[in-house]
Amino acid sequence: MTTTRTPFDIPAHASSDDPRVTLDEQLGVFEPIPPYPPRTEREAEFYTLRDGEMFVNMGPQHPSTHGVLRVVLKIDGEKVVDLDPVLGYLHRGVEKLCENADYHQAICYMDPLEYISSLFCEWSPVMAFEKLLDVQVPRRAEYIRVLSGELNRIASHALFMGWFALDLGGLTPILWSFIERDEIVEMLAALTGQRMLFNYFRIGGVNGDLNHEFMSRLGAWMSKATAHIDSNQALLNENEIFVRRARGLGVIDTATALQMCMTGPNLRATGVPFDIRRAHPYSIYPELDFDIPSRTEGDCLARYLLRMDEVRQSLRIIDQCLHQMPDGPVMAKLPRLIRPRPGRAYAAIEGPRGQYATYAISDGTDQPYRMRIHDPSFIHLQSVGLLTPGNLIADTMAIMASLDPIMGGVDK
Amino acid sequence: MTVVGRTWDRLTIPGKILAVVIPLGAALTAGLAILIAVVGGAVVQFLADNLPLVRFVVAATIVLLMTIPSAFLIIYMEMKVIALMNLRYGPDRVGPFGSALSVVHGLKVLMKEDFTPTGADVPVFTMAPVVVYMSSVLSLLVLPFAPGLFGQDFNIGLLYFFAMGGLTVVGLLMAGWSSFNKYSLLGGLRSAAQIVSYEIPLTLSVVGVILLAGTMSLNQIVLGQAGSLFDWYLWRQPLAFVVFFIAVTAEANRTPFDLTEADSEIVAGFATEYSGMRFGFFFFAEYVNVFIASGLTVALFLGGWNAPFNWPWPVTVGLDPGGLGIGLLLLLAIGPPLAIVVLGLPFYLLNSRIRFWQALVIGFVLFNVVAVGAVLGLAFLSFDWVVGLLWFMGKTYAFVFTFVWMRGTLPRVRIDQLMGFAWKWLLPAALLNLFVTALAILVLKR
Repeated sequence: MTTTRTPFDIPAHASSDDPRVTLDEQLGVFEPIPPYPPRTEREAEFYTLRDGEMFVNMGPQHPSTHGVLRVVLKIDGEKVVDLDPVLGYLHRGVEKLCENADYHQAICYMDPLEYISSLFCEWSPVMAFEKLLDVQVPRRAEYIRVLSGELNRIASHALFMGWFALDLGGLTPILWSFIERDEIVEMLAALTGQRMLFNYFRIGGVNGDLNHEFMSRLGAWMSKATAHIDSNQALLNENEIFVRRARGLGVIDTATALQMCMTGPNLRATGVPFDIRRAHPYSIYPELDFDIPSRTEGDCLARYLLRMDEVRQSLRIIDQCLHQMPDGPVMAKLPRLIRPRPGRAYAAIEGPRGQYATYAISDGTDQPYRMRIHDPSFIHLQSVGLLTPGNLIADTMAIMASLDPIMGGVDK
Repeated sequence: MTVVGRTWDRLTIPGKILAVVIPLGAALTAGLAILIAVVGGAVVQFLADNLPLVRFVVAATIVLLMTIPSAFLIIYMEMKVIALMNLRYGPDRVGPFGSALSVVHGLKVLMKEDFTPTGADVPVFTMAPVVVYMSSVLSLLVLPFAPGLFGQDFNIGLLYFFAMGGLTVVGLLMAGWSSFNKYSLLGGLRSAAQIVSYEIPLTLSVVGVILLAGTMSLNQIVLGQAGSLFDWYLWRQPLAFVVFFIAVTAEANRTPFDLTEADSEIVAGFATEYSGMRFGFFFFAEYVNVFIASGLTVALFLGGWNAPFNWPWPVTVGLDPGGLGIGLLLLLAIGPPLAIVVLGLPFYLLNSRIRFWQALVIGFVLFNVVAVGAVLGLAFLSFDWVVGLLWFMGKTYAFVFTFVWMRGTLPRVRIDQLMGFAWKWLLPAALLNLFVTALAILVLKR
């Protein structure tokens, strides 16, 4: 016989969310239950506890939720029965902000979305606006975009490696991978003037040409990058504890991954070699020679190893870009005030986490009429609820880390 | 206003303090002198009659006082070594190479607010750090540091040791339960499951050593390994050593078995709601446990304070001054000036600012330091227990380094992997070791 206890029977002041809670009152258990009656059947079912179950409110301040994600876990001992991600702690209303900014200003609102790999957030709106304006980007600018973008992809994947290991309890890998990331970020700072929120891509090109400091730093780093990345990975790939924890964890099959709209490394780890750089080519990617790595296991280890394979491919792309870099201008001839013809444009690119896309509507003024941003982190985060139940608390972190969501992009 | 009042008003603040302290001190001294004169003889007689009691109190006090500096040392070692493994600098501000940082940490912890959360079970919450810390200190009491240098030599020393180690779990469970926090509860229950599981292979792996030594007294076990490197139980009990080291890592809650305070999963485990010196007690207890785990491994398997080869100490300097003849004159007249010049010359040659006479002064000072150090060092090393202590500490800190190294390298295991490993692998291995050892002893004795 199971007795059920509905937390909605508890008076509203028992919730810590309730403003009427005062400290001089004798309080019961703080439960992470919303103070309003359940809005959906799913919510009512989730917030009903069976025997032996309890809620754990993880986040928004927790060491390993990658930002300000809040997850309400329903646990039975160590086992996670159900979970409910609560979003919106980082919501800025970027799409609405862009409607009140002109086309140039809209780009710099994009940077903090994906603060680990900001260049990709700039890239897709820039491409959409270029389609609206029907402007031809100089080839040198395209090469610089690919070069800096692939560097940013390596930086993002390096940080992923460290985070994933840190969530599994390893202290050292994150500091080792930060060495690589810091070097890349420093050289991008030499190129763009910023370490994190670059604001480098412009409609019709890039902000500035390659400079000496960037090139010398890049040359010095490229000569030792492969050796560094190999030694970093040896620390994890040859570690029995790490491999045993990551293998077979959070398995998602191809059909489910497609149903959950997964893209990028998370989809490729299930065996679908879908990459927008090859499937819907843009920029100069058709001219470059690189492979699309894919794995069939679909577990956390496959997602991790796949990203490490991508780093090697990115190094190949950077090498080719440096050898094929043409001369010429880095900015198309455009008026200062841009007024595209009325119309709509869609541009998708392949970022380190999957498909970034922007859908922009122009009404003929100098401001976008409507902008819609498709962010892979948000799409991937919804499959946490599918992968986690049945696993242990410790694995929740590993699964979340292996999907690699960035909360800036999730909350927009 | 009286004369006394006016005089008091004229005094400065230090003067006022002294005016109170000096008469008070004088009165206390006089009182103490009278007290000693009256009952001193009886007290001395009582202490002389109960010498073991005195010894125990002194040993317990010394062990209690020893834990803090050794914890400081291990904390600094961990910060610095892991920093170097992470390619960071680590502490480098307070003291030489940042070595005083852990002391500053200790002071900071003392000065922080001692916070008790609403809804906590206050007596249990307050007692939990004490239980954890005392269990560490009490198990330190039977650890043999050097010949004749131990708190108590029980004939059931090892059993006492594991009993005290098992007491830790009570404290952690108290902390986890009374904190009124779900992360603390999870941490406390994890620690209970983990320590209870690992206690079994830990104890069973040592039974082989007990069979070989024929005693449970740690002191006798160390004495049984006297001789050279190859008399250590490590070579006769290699499987037990491996099992014991893994299990003791889990007992001390160290990486890769630090699930009780897994920061990426359950924030800080049982210590989530603790702050100030209560947290400091948990923190110190953890590092004292690391020291204890290393020390026990050394005492059981690596010969304790025994030297790895026949060390020619205690030194007996068989120098007969009369037999040297003219050599004595040469030694006294030519040796020191030559040494002064040799020690001072590098300074003169390597630094152009130093003049020759300044280099000679430096050489003279250096020669004195070296000579006095050598003589005192030799005299000190001729004590049996000093050499023993040095060997014991050297081996122990090698193991402490291993623990730190593991923390820098390994990720954390999962709770089901942890339990499965204990019951499926360590327990059968410990049992196998026990049976093989018992069989070998039976066969060889027959």
